[in-house]
Amino acid sequence: MKTTADVIVIGAGIVGCSTAYYLAKKGMSVIVLEGSNYIGNGGSSRNGGGVRQSGRNPKELPLMIWGVKNIWPHLSEELGVDTEYKQKGNLRLGKTDRHLGILTKLTENAVKCGLDVKMISAAEVKGINPYLSDEVVGASWCATDGHANPLTTTLGFYKKARELGVQFYTDCPVVQLRTVCGTMRQVITSEAVFEAEAVVVAAGFESKPLLDGVGINIPMRKVKLECLVTEAEPQMFEQMLGTAEADFYGHQTKHGSFVFGGHTGYERYAIDYANPSSSSSFASCTSRGIMKYFPILKDAKIVRAWAGFMDECADEVATVSKIDEIPGLYVECSFTGHGFGIGPAAGYNTAELITTGKTPADIQPLRYDRFKTAM
Amino acid sequence: MKRYNLIVVGAGPAGLCAGIEAAKRGMSVIVFDENEKPGGQLFKQIHKFFGSKEHKAKIRGFKIGEQLLKEAAATGVEVRLNATVTGLYPDKEIMVKHGDGMYHYKGDSIIIATGAAENMVPFENWTLPGVIGAGAAQTLMNLHGIKPGNRILMLGSGNVGLVVSFQLLQAGCEVAALVDAAPRIGGYGVHAAKVARTGVPFYLSHTIIKAEGTDHVTGVIIGEVDDHFKPIPGTEKQFDVDTICIAVGLSPMSQLLKMSGCTMEDNPRRGGEVPVVDEYGETSIPQLFAAGDVSGIEEASSAMIKGKMAGIRAAYELGFCKETETENSLEKCTADLDSLRQGMFAPGNKGKLIEKTEEGIPVSMNLLTKGFVADGEIIHFPGVTSQKGIHPVIECTQNIPCNPCQDACVKHCIKIGSHITSLPVVENPAPCTGCGLCVASCSGQAIFLVNENYEPGFASITMPYEFLPLPEKGDKGKGLGRDGKTVCDAEIIDVKSLPAFDHTNLVTMKVPAEFVMKARFFKAV
Amino acid sequence: MNDRLRDIGPFVPGRDDDLLICRCEEVTKGEIRQAVHEGMFTMPEIRRYLRCGMGLCQGQTCARLVKGIIASELHIAPSEVEPASSRGPVRPTEMSTLGNEEEA
Repeated sequence: MKTTADVIVIGAGIVGCSTAYYLAKKGMSVIVLEGSNYIGNGGSSRNGGGVRQSGRNPKELPLMIWGVKNIWPHLSEELGVDTEYKQKGNLRLGKTDRHLGILTKLTENAVKCGLDVKMISAAEVKGINPYLSDEVVGASWCATDGHANPLTTTLGFYKKARELGVQFYTDCPVVQLRTVCGTMRQVITSEAVFEAEAVVVAAGFESKPLLDGVGINIPMRKVKLECLVTEAEPQMFEQMLGTAEADFYGHQTKHGSFVFGGHTGYERYAIDYANPSSSSSFASCTSRGIMKYFPILKDAKIVRAWAGFMDECADEVATVSKIDEIPGLYVECSFTGHGFGIGPAAGYNTAELITTGKTPADIQPLRYDRFKTAM
Repeated sequence: MKRYNLIVVGAGPAGLCAGIEAAKRGMSVIVFDENEKPGGQLFKQIHKFFGSKEHKAKIRGFKIGEQLLKEAAATGVEVRLNATVTGLYPDKEIMVKHGDGMYHYKGDSIIIATGAAENMVPFENWTLPGVIGAGAAQTLMNLHGIKPGNRILMLGSGNVGLVVSFQLLQAGCEVAALVDAAPRIGGYGVHAAKVARTGVPFYLSHTIIKAEGTDHVTGVIIGEVDDHFKPIPGTEKQFDVDTICIAVGLSPMSQLLKMSGCTMEDNPRRGGEVPVVDEYGETSIPQLFAAGDVSGIEEASSAMIKGKMAGIRAAYELGFCKETETENSLEKCTADLDSLRQGMFAPGNKGKLIEKTEEGIPVSMNLLTKGFVADGEIIHFPGVTSQKGIHPVIECTQNIPCNPCQDACVKHCIKIGSHITSLPVVENPAPCTGCGLCVASCSGQAIFLVNENYEPGFASITMPYEFLPLPEKGDKGKGLGRDGKTVCDAEIIDVKSLPAFDHTNLVTMKVPAEFVMKARFFKAV
Repeated sequence: MNDRLRDIGPFVPGRDDDLLICRCEEVTKGEIRQAVHEGMFTMPEIRRYLRCGMGLCQGQTCARLVKGIIASELHIAPSEVEPASSRGPVRPTEMSTLGNEEEA
């Protein structure tokens, strides 16, 4: 059994798998340790598929914009899988003036970072997506946003990383990180101790106990999110959809089915089961929400609903960072439910950070020590 | 949101029995079923059940279903049909789709009795219209009165394949062949025998190579397989058929249980993914139970008992009955279940080749490989005797827990005894009056009344006959042997249909005396 | 602990690789076998990679068959293959019905 490598990555989601892939591409030997029995079993296989720049906190924009320009366009070709990436824009919808206010603020901040996003009127929204109801009073529109298939993309990174010799172990939960003489060196599981010169923690919310154990506190908590999927429908629209309050989002997939995420209002009080499961009212509540936006979908059949946990950060911003105070330790977590689109870029930049000490995108705002109190 | 003491999902034998026991003990019970008719698989079972009186032997499956429904109504169990339970959520909450709306229900306890679904086996062109599950064929025929096809090949020789093949014949279909990759039939010998004697050929150690046809099935090619189930080139056989029925086993429909988060296991001996349960069917989630096929594929009789046990246990755990009463009831159920699970087809014997009966008689290998007992083998069995005057001939050659024949004869010609799996013994001489009740009582249709000296040169054979149109007195035709091949000329001398026979008509034919132990079926010409 | 790089032997094309296994999503035996060799060792991974089990019947017809194929490629018993999860609604249900929560 292989227990030493140049880099150990903890977590085999989109972030862990892409990090491992990009490291292997640069000639590094990598071991990926996944606690569950499945690759990509966390948020990576449960999200709504958005690949979007708009609607993000400006801190994430440099990394995300870089990713849309440099990674997504040729990703299917590079991985040899169909990521189903479609760059047909993102409508972030508003139903009230307050929503429009939120969207306007987000838009202004994003424009300052160089993103091509703008506010559009109800009529313009209908022009882009004629299926939307009159409930929509306006939206932000970002033409370079899009969506993709998180399942095939994550598994595509895994497949390619494996081809390059990355060693994946599943059913291998990490119990503790251990430094040796102040440097990150050991990753302890119940069956073996792994050693590397660099360790990347990319385990979603499960990153927290490991990081706490070495005195690094990223303020995160676990919050449930739920999604549903319909049967295949004739192709209707190609944009990614979201809302001002991020309580509804989704897209129509290549297969024709619609994947939508919604919000019952009780997510923060969800019973925590090891295997996140849908609540009884979620599909009903979200169906009503969808029908309000898309009356035409009222006869579409829902075939499945599922849930996942996001690692919600106190400031709702991702952490992609070298841990300076513990040489050899890197962290990619707290993606707060919007990690899919930015994941590959995070993985690429972390690989660069480890191998060259520099990153092509500006990830300074995503540092682990950015947290300041309210006053 | 309405709350009940017990929610049962599935109004089949397990679910109804569970609900009845719980309601008897004072629980508020509601049973949901997604179908428009309750009874699960029971209403498709038009054959008489095996077992003892307690196990409702001799009664046709759908009648048992009717009885259960009456009892459910009488004990105050609410049964909601066309009600699909779409999910089982934490806190024992279910969502039910009924009409155009969704309803939330909560149960203090929940029993999942959702049964099982048919397995498929892929072969070239298996997705052509005309390839259907045997259970689907049964639904078409027995619930909706529709012939599934005209000429059919059956794949699978377990009880489902054998019983449905017979029902296809009863519905007026031709069964071109019965095929199984295994070297021996999996179901009861008597089920196979009643199919074989009508002329249906059995092909054990054969599998389907491909279905023929472009937009629907027009034929099928089968081929022999070796010890590793690999097709042997050059052994192909072709049949013109319009339907291929697949009866290769069932898998529990345990989706709701998986959703609940209870501990599951993949257990091939129980049929697939099933919950881990205790002896009463309780899962790892307290007051969540599984009963019937969903917790392990068996059959209706055991499903009813397992349902009872879950219902009693749920009532006990929620304080609706006392410890002693509960223990006694559950002990009785366990004893009933054990008595069902005895004999050659006991769960512990699955896959084993039993070579001798409990009495030491060699089991008929011909029966196991071709579907009928050979003429030379049948005489070794205690139900088969040669006597003066009319007497029963019982061609029951396997130890299964079943005894209605013993009670049917008021003259005590037939003896099984207290060990219910014993082969029936015919007294010699038997004080038989020729009433025919034994013939009608045998669920396996394995009893004949024989008079070796009916008239000079001729013998008479009274057979159980469940086909329409019935032959008429005076009809001339041929006597078929156990293998379904013509052995002699035959003439119908009597046809009796009495209410006491419950639709098993007694047809008596006259054959040349030397064929008295060979002819077992009649075909008109 | 599961070594995802363990040697399961090469992918050898089979005579019946074009046999349809998942009817709803039209996935063939060969595609499933190939996917195992690309690292998909469990039911959820095969389902997410190829879509078998995602159609209208949600795997009721094909799950057992898919499991057998994965097991065969991995040289393990079917009961040892990591299972897929089941989720509600267990029957496809129209949005208008699902959204119509009534009082019992």
